[in-house]
Amino acid sequence: MSTSPRKRPAPDALVAGLVVAILVALVGAVFLSGWGASLYPPQAATSEARNVRGLYDIVFAFGLAIFVVVEALIIWSVLRYRRKSSDTSLPVQTHGNNTVEIIWTVIPTAIVLFLFVISWQSLNRVNAVSASPDIRIHAIAGQFQWQFEYLDASGSKVATQLVPVYDVDTGEGGMAVPAGKSVQVTLDSPDVIHAFYVPRFLFKRDVVPGQTNRFEFTVDATEAGQVFRGQCAELCGAGHRRMLFSVIALTPADYDTWLKALIVKANATPAPAPSGTVLTLSVLNIQYDTAALEVPADAPFAISFANKDPSGVTHDVDIRDSSGTVVANQEVVNGGSSANYVYDPLPAGTYTFFCSIHANMTGTLTVK
Amino acid sequence: MATHALTPAASTYSRGRLYEWLTTTDHKKIGIMYVINSFVFFLIGGILALVVRTELAQPGLQFLADEHVYNEMFTMHATIMIFVFVIPMLAGLGNYIVPLMIGAPDMAFPRINALSLWMLPLAGILLISSFFTGGTAAAGWTSYPPLSLDGPLKSPGSGQDLWIVSLILIGTSSILGSINFLVTIFKMRAPGMTLFRMPIMVWTVLVTSVLVLMATPVITSALVMLFIDRNYGGHFFDPFGGGSAILYQNIFWFYSHPAVYVMILPAMGVISEVLPVFSRKPLFGYKAFIFATAGIGALGFSVWAHHMFTTGSVFLPFFSLLTFLIAVPTGVKMFNWVFTLFRGQLTFSTPLVFAIGFLTMFLIGGINGAFSASVPVDFALHDTYWVVAHIHYVLFGGSVFGIFAGLYYWFPKMFGRMLDEGLGKLHFVLMFIGFNLTFFPMHQLGLEGMPRRIADYAADAGWNDLNLLATVGGFTIAVSILPFIWNVFISLRNGKIAGDDPWEGNTLEWATSSPPPPYNFDHLPEIRSERPVFDARHGRTGH
Amino acid sequence: MPATGGRDTEGALINVTADSHALTPTEHSPMAGLAHDVRGGISNPILGMILFITSEVMFFAGLFAAYFSTRANFVDVNGVKEWPPQEFASILNPFSLILVATVILIVSSVTLQMAIWAIRRDDRRGFLRNMAVTFILGITFLLLQAYDYSLLFHEGLTMGSGPFGTTYFTLTGFHGAHVFGGVIMLGVVLYRGMSGQFSSRHHDAVEAASLYWHFVDVVWIILFSILYFL
Repeated sequence: MSTSPRKRPAPDALVAGLVVAILVALVGAVFLSGWGASLYPPQAATSEARNVRGLYDIVFAFGLAIFVVVEALIIWSVLRYRRKSSDTSLPVQTHGNNTVEIIWTVIPTAIVLFLFVISWQSLNRVNAVSASPDIRIHAIAGQFQWQFEYLDASGSKVATQLVPVYDVDTGEGGMAVPAGKSVQVTLDSPDVIHAFYVPRFLFKRDVVPGQTNRFEFTVDATEAGQVFRGQCAELCGAGHRRMLFSVIALTPADYDTWLKALIVKANATPAPAPSGTVLTLSVLNIQYDTAALEVPADAPFAISFANKDPSGVTHDVDIRDSSGTVVANQEVVNGGSSANYVYDPLPAGTYTFFCSIHANMTGTLTVK
Repeated sequence: MATHALTPAASTYSRGRLYEWLTTTDHKKIGIMYVINSFVFFLIGGILALVVRTELAQPGLQFLADEHVYNEMFTMHATIMIFVFVIPMLAGLGNYIVPLMIGAPDMAFPRINALSLWMLPLAGILLISSFFTGGTAAAGWTSYPPLSLDGPLKSPGSGQDLWIVSLILIGTSSILGSINFLVTIFKMRAPGMTLFRMPIMVWTVLVTSVLVLMATPVITSALVMLFIDRNYGGHFFDPFGGGSAILYQNIFWFYSHPAVYVMILPAMGVISEVLPVFSRKPLFGYKAFIFATAGIGALGFSVWAHHMFTTGSVFLPFFSLLTFLIAVPTGVKMFNWVFTLFRGQLTFSTPLVFAIGFLTMFLIGGINGAFSASVPVDFALHDTYWVVAHIHYVLFGGSVFGIFAGLYYWFPKMFGRMLDEGLGKLHFVLMFIGFNLTFFPMHQLGLEGMPRRIADYAADAGWNDLNLLATVGGFTIAVSILPFIWNVFISLRNGKIAGDDPWEGNTLEWATSSPPPPYNFDHLPEIRSERPVFDARHGRTGH
Repeated sequence: MPATGGRDTEGALINVTADSHALTPTEHSPMAGLAHDVRGGISNPILGMILFITSEVMFFAGLFAAYFSTRANFVDVNGVKEWPPQEFASILNPFSLILVATVILIVSSVTLQMAIWAIRRDDRRGFLRNMAVTFILGITFLLLQAYDYSLLFHEGLTMGSGPFGTTYFTLTGFHGAHVFGGVIMLGVVLYRGMSGQFSSRHHDAVEAASLYWHFVDVVWIILFSILYFL
């Protein structure tokens, strides 16, 4: 039966064709109406990201076309070729066809070769690093905190940003970059693998211990004033999800002001040697050297804190009361340096001192 | 076709059915035990997935104690699903069906076959036992050092060691299994069963076995080195002691990329058996399909570094090109499958429904994988939920749908009774909907920048609704398993008697009784094509 | 070569009456699968062993890859790129005990091959004599390696001695473990040989064990050349 040529399309074919046409139209409508935007990456914020976005759009167009064609074929076959009670004899036993096999080998090969070539071109653009970028930043990702060292043209450090996340209320924190200028970031880790990832840069690069990775980007000048969310993208332990950072795009003038303020802050004379009770506390291998401290009630006190872990691993000594409310919040200290933390008077009671970066580092502070 | 089971004369006394099953070397019983063991771990892995999805349903940490427990959950979910569910499940289906399909009485080394089987529950129990001995591995199923090394904030404790030992055991089981498959396929085929008359399922198991044989020992070496670093002061992967963190990734992926094909090729084999039978046509392009399978296997060894594009230490264009090229043989297969349906006479029994589910979902998994072959695009997508979506479209939409197609297809052969069609289709519909609800939104989450393996996300990141949707989908998948279990339970007792050949099959397993007797056949039909049972039913006129 | 010796006659040969020329009879016996071996080609156990050795080659390939990668990246604390590291350079002297061990292992491969040739011509006495010598040589190699380890420990080279110590002991240790496995295999073959289980028609186990032993030998020669000379 199926061997004889059909004069008119069978009713099944009409139904199947209709369903396929509706589905194709639906997919088309989704993308024409803008609902399909959710399947595109967020708006590119750097010139490199715009390049990647252009590439993504091409890959996506091919992917969508192949998806529509093949799914349409499947749906058509499923609806059209159901076995009916009238089908007593076998359908034509087609074993294959070398011509079509060659066609669907050659055409996909051509497509993927094309995609490979444009990907390669884009890669050379996105991956390029220049010898003399406008700005150099050395990003260090330690468990579980980012820090950003600003370098001069010769590569020596001029200031360190120890607060990785931008705080809307105080305006503090974050890695500031001048929009429209090329920024070269070098990446190092003192412990495990992390990854520098900013979604709107459409880019990430692993931070591999023992290996310095390097990449470059230029934030679009029109993005000045924007704050971009960044996050560690490679599992790095229990604090992985808290390894956030911000990239702040500033106009070049604002950036200069920002960097000067950071330098001033870094060179500020350390807090005067505190009067009253001074405790000492140090940390090594992500452990405080003591689990219990004691201070008098209602009197200011200080902790002379030494971070003996390697550079890149940051710690601090914050205090929370028995209800969990943080009553003292200190800035972190990088590995290999020390600080004098001064605390306001606390009423008598039992408190917990802890490191805001490492949940395992806690101790009891008795105030009496 | 008349067949009669021959009872072995040797069994003059009986030690009970349990003893018989525990000591059997019969490939069919071993295959069924593989399947049962894998299914139990599928349920355990599924529960862990539900824990992960429950935690992610809303921003904040509500359900689990802390991030470390969360890391344990997804690490164990992936480890169990990959190593103790998908790989052994497909090995089990192969174990049951390959000797039948080539007309052999058993596997070449029946006792080694039993050894391969019994290593698996042992390994699985070792893996699970780490929950009760101070915490499991928590460095992800990839266990990249330095995070997986010993040390504060890394992976102290025995969980990671148990993980290593368990994986080495599973690897050894796989290697022995692959040797067994290869010798069986090369040496034990029935007269007339030439290589190019073997069912596609057998071909995929053949290629898979080569991949396992060549790749699994390499990950064993990586695991051994990791164990030495952790326990005997070694310096292979410790970047601060003269080692290299990236070295592990290279060795690990040299295995684990071929492992992806180990997990999908036999499922493709199942689909290639199911589609022709239920469309009453031969597989379109039988030889092209075999060459495509071999091509995927060969390319599979040269693309491992596409998992490492963002490490900054691999030669990007080479691995990008080869990764793109893998799309070609995969596309050939897809078109061959679709053209097998085309102009057929389709009967929508549950196996075919799952097979069509496979086609539609695996297509998405293939396309969204091609995005990551493009290195700059991968820079954006790597280690985000996009990748989570991709692997689930391949391993769940592909492998798991293929596994269920196979279970529905061969259940009548295994147990002599049919599964209920209504419950089977309910299972499919729930699973299909749940699957897409869970994993399609992950594309968008990944594009918007949600990294994988995070226990929590900012409430203002805009990811709340999609995560909630994925969690609802996850529970839908869990519900979909219930009709399947119920179906098996009632059908084993009351299912319709299947008879030798309920589906009008093509391949030799349908030429013997259901379930087949020990040593499988008392006689075989003439083998003159890749469809001997079809030939016996219709004569050669159909050709 | 018949694969199963005398055993393939034990299973009941049920010759199904071929009621149609379309039906091909197959034996319905526990050993029926081996009946296909009459078509020729290598026997199942030997093919199995060859495949197993293939997987072992890949295992050592992984270790060697790690060795060369580690070696290429190595820089000592003073920034000197030298391998072996200066402090261990004098310890690894190829013209010492280790050379004796190497010769012993190579000789054991020769004696094992002589055992194979003996059993192929049904010379059971020659077979057993050569097997016994091979077995003893294998054990001697292990003892020498253990003694060599103790000397190295004494000199301060351990698993924890930087990448050099780690790679040295991992590679030689895993090779040693394979020699140990091979010695057990040889022991089993020797024991079965003494109880008269092998003949010129039936000695697959001997051939398989010898393939494994030659493989272990080759790995050692490569290992020795790389660790001591390269």
